[in-house]
Amino acid sequence: MELEVTIQRYLPEQSSEPFNQSYTVPYDTSTSVLDALTYIKEELDPTLSYRWSCRMAICGSCGIMLNGKPMLGCNVFLRDYVQTGMLIEPMAHFPVERDLIIDMESFLTHLEAVKPYLISKDSKESVQSFDPHNQTPRQLDKYQQFSSCINCGLCYSACPQFGLNPEFIGPAALTLAHRYNLDNRDAGQAERMPMINSEEGAWSCTFVGYCSEVCPKSVDPAAAVNQSKVTSATDLIFSLLGGRS
Amino acid sequence: MQQSDFDILVVGGGGAGLRASIAAAEKSPHLNIGLVSKVYPMRSHTVAAEGGAAAVTLEKDSFQAHIEDTVMGSDWLAEQGVVDYFVRHAYQELVQMEHWGCPWSRKEDGTIQVRRFGGMKVERTWFAADKTGFHMLHTLYQTSLKYSQIQRLDEFFVLDLLVVDAAVAGVIAIEVATGELHLLRAKSVILATGGAGRLFRFNTNGGIVTGDGMALAYRKGVALRDMEFVQYHPTGLPGSGILITEASRGEGGIMVNKDGYRYLQDYGLGPETPLGKPENKYMELGPRDKLSQAFWQEQQAGRTGKYGDSDVVYLDLRHLGEKYLQERLPFISELAKAFVNIDPAKEPIPVRPAVHYTMGGIMTDAKSETSIKGLYAAGECASVGLHGANRLGSNSLTELLVFGRLAGEQAAENADNKDFAALPTLQEQAKLVQKQLATLNDRTSGESWVEIKKELLKTMEEGCGIYRTQAGMEETLQTIRELRKRYQSVHIQDKSKVYNTEFFMCLEVGFGLDIAEATCLGALERKESRGAHQRLDEGCTSRNDQDFLQHSLVYYQGKEAARLEWQAVDTSILPPAERAYGDAAKSGEAAKGAK
Amino acid sequence: MSYRPTLTRTWWLKNTAFKVYMLRELTVLPLLFFLLCLVKGLYSLSQGAEAWYLWLAVMQNPLVMLINTLALLASLFHAWTFFQLFPRVMPLEFGGKKVSAPALVAGQWAGVLAVFALVAWLFWG
Repeated sequence: MELEVTIQRYLPEQSSEPFNQSYTVPYDTSTSVLDALTYIKEELDPTLSYRWSCRMAICGSCGIMLNGKPMLGCNVFLRDYVQTGMLIEPMAHFPVERDLIIDMESFLTHLEAVKPYLISKDSKESVQSFDPHNQTPRQLDKYQQFSSCINCGLCYSACPQFGLNPEFIGPAALTLAHRYNLDNRDAGQAERMPMINSEEGAWSCTFVGYCSEVCPKSVDPAAAVNQSKVTSATDLIFSLLGGRS
Repeated sequence: MQQSDFDILVVGGGGAGLRASIAAAEKSPHLNIGLVSKVYPMRSHTVAAEGGAAAVTLEKDSFQAHIEDTVMGSDWLAEQGVVDYFVRHAYQELVQMEHWGCPWSRKEDGTIQVRRFGGMKVERTWFAADKTGFHMLHTLYQTSLKYSQIQRLDEFFVLDLLVVDAAVAGVIAIEVATGELHLLRAKSVILATGGAGRLFRFNTNGGIVTGDGMALAYRKGVALRDMEFVQYHPTGLPGSGILITEASRGEGGIMVNKDGYRYLQDYGLGPETPLGKPENKYMELGPRDKLSQAFWQEQQAGRTGKYGDSDVVYLDLRHLGEKYLQERLPFISELAKAFVNIDPAKEPIPVRPAVHYTMGGIMTDAKSETSIKGLYAAGECASVGLHGANRLGSNSLTELLVFGRLAGEQAAENADNKDFAALPTLQEQAKLVQKQLATLNDRTSGESWVEIKKELLKTMEEGCGIYRTQAGMEETLQTIRELRKRYQSVHIQDKSKVYNTEFFMCLEVGFGLDIAEATCLGALERKESRGAHQRLDEGCTSRNDQDFLQHSLVYYQGKEAARLEWQAVDTSILPPAERAYGDAAKSGEAAKGAK
Repeated sequence: MSYRPTLTRTWWLKNTAFKVYMLRELTVLPLLFFLLCLVKGLYSLSQGAEAWYLWLAVMQNPLVMLINTLALLASLFHAWTFFQLFPRVMPLEFGGKKVSAPALVAGQWAGVLAVFALVAWLFWG
């Protein structure tokens, strides 16, 4: 069986404009879009560039737009697109470097901005203290879902607010902030709130909700961001009342 | 060419590289550390590890027990002093991960939960559901953001090591985004580049696991040790090779052949343990090499089933129930649904062995340093001597922490007492590399790297599979050497600078060819069967301590054939004994008691 | 070297999720109309009987009635979207157990019914 796959190409050294190119790819029931890209690269056109590694939807490298929808290439199969055909484009809302490779810098900067690490209650905790913290399954359950983000960036391609304003911290980073805020071992919420309260923080989100729909790991970033709004509102009210800064 | 200086360069942004970077930053906060990786750190293959990380945790467990399991698992080819160090530092590293926020699975009372794992006589495997590697990698990556002295060079591909007077002086790398060459000068360099599973067609590894770091050190004269030991994981999905964690057996999953028979009892792992009552070191909780070998025997006997073109056996998890699977094994449930359209709560998963792990690697001493001064290696790319002839599941995630940390600290100490090498010599070396690249780039016709890669993968599978023969390995070695010759006139079509992924894939094939030769040569010369290295030819079908209780060391000889030497093994704690599992181990224990 | 595609004004026409989102946000328009009517009604009431009857007459205009019916439907639709999202934004615990999402949604509709009942009782009871 064969299927025609159309790919948006962009070769900055040849032209400043992207163009579409079609390839005919053999497939069976297990052929993923990533397999198709590999086939094209090895057999038809070695100049096609894309990112990939694990091919099991955990490394987060191979995000693409497939017929306008953000997806992981490894996790979607040609067999399901026989009727509709396939148009593969680079992930939306990011600058494109070449072919399907986008510039991840803004994503990483946003991620770093929310202090996504455990800020300990004790000022200097190191390996010298040998005991693990206590954390019950219920306490773990509070944040576990939000810790499953693989940083693929699909939610940013699904987020029109990020598309309109790349300064928006965005779903994945806000989710990560919320993940640490919900962790009973963490004491860093006060340090993260200014970023979450800011104009580019949680309040830039208008709850379109599409980010959660496209998340390949069911992290539900929309829920995390909007829970953050609740935290943020509480935080603001408290600070207005002078109860807490 | 750009030039910059770092006190320490860490090559590889996976678990070991990140742990090393953090350790160096903590040890000597004034040092500036460059973390070079060909992908963004969270794409590194640590991310795909599922089952867990081992450390002596329970009251009933002991260091001695973990040492015994690891040494027996290694078929006595582990460096026992190294194993001892590892076992004693494992727990504190996992606690450190906990302090950094790793979401380890817990018991009801909030303490750490441990699970059973193959070849381990006591439950000692910490886990975060069945995404342990993912959580560890992201915890390390996120924690590394706290240290401003760690400067990341994401998507930089290292081409060569700079060595002056048998001491490391930096690396030469290309920035993938621009094609620009960088001379990165350093006082210490840590290689943490992962394994070489991609030398085989059917594997559980990500596309980036191409053994680059091994080849970099090897080409500079560092020995590759024990490369013939390639671990087949018994449960990969047919077709893709995607990993189904050993934890699924630790939690009680069973393996059956096409007749529904639990065949492992016929291969020295029995007697059959009751359904839902797994027992350590019995049946499905035997070590990976034994289980993969049992598959091969079943396949020969015609008792395997079919899935597509693949011969398969079945991993049955149905008795665990949907709820338990969702709690303990959510990721593999998701994978089975997506990639073979099977719901493990309702149907057994078809599986077959797939290449999973490179036991051998860059030879280091017990402190992670190679024979080049200031050059360290940690994690899967290294052979510090922990795994010998067969690695036990869940030892490697702990390894990358214990030895990543050690390498980081050693590198910091070295950098504190050393100056940079003089620039002119390094620039000369860099120019040489530049020239080689130009030659490759200017070639308008020649051999196709895709063809070479395909032939390499095919021949490795034929000659260096689960069972090996003299004739098969000779043929494979011959083929590899021919491919190396052909590679000298390899050619790429893409001449662009920006994200020229063809160029990098071509270089990876070049690295792979060198490592393949070392692997095959080690296998050919080891005329015995031990751990993951099993031979079918006469006189080689059993372990031979008389002649081969030794590490193989393979040295690079440029365009000439590689050279092999042998190195004694440290057996100072546990003298070699019979390696037995299931009830067969009991007679061994009895004998030991009598002694 | 990289190129950045920009969002056009019609970005939201590209997929169903965005259209549903825009529809949800657009519910504000008929609701705004209803609100203006209401304010005008109160104002008319304060201006004496004549103004009040005029207002009532305007309210009976078929077009106005249509728009206000639309406003009712819009508010129900908006409430539905809000109620659906609520359990994700405010996960609640009761007696140490998570309250299930369907229970939370049902609870909110029960609240709406209660308000309806109260209003009905006030006016017709």
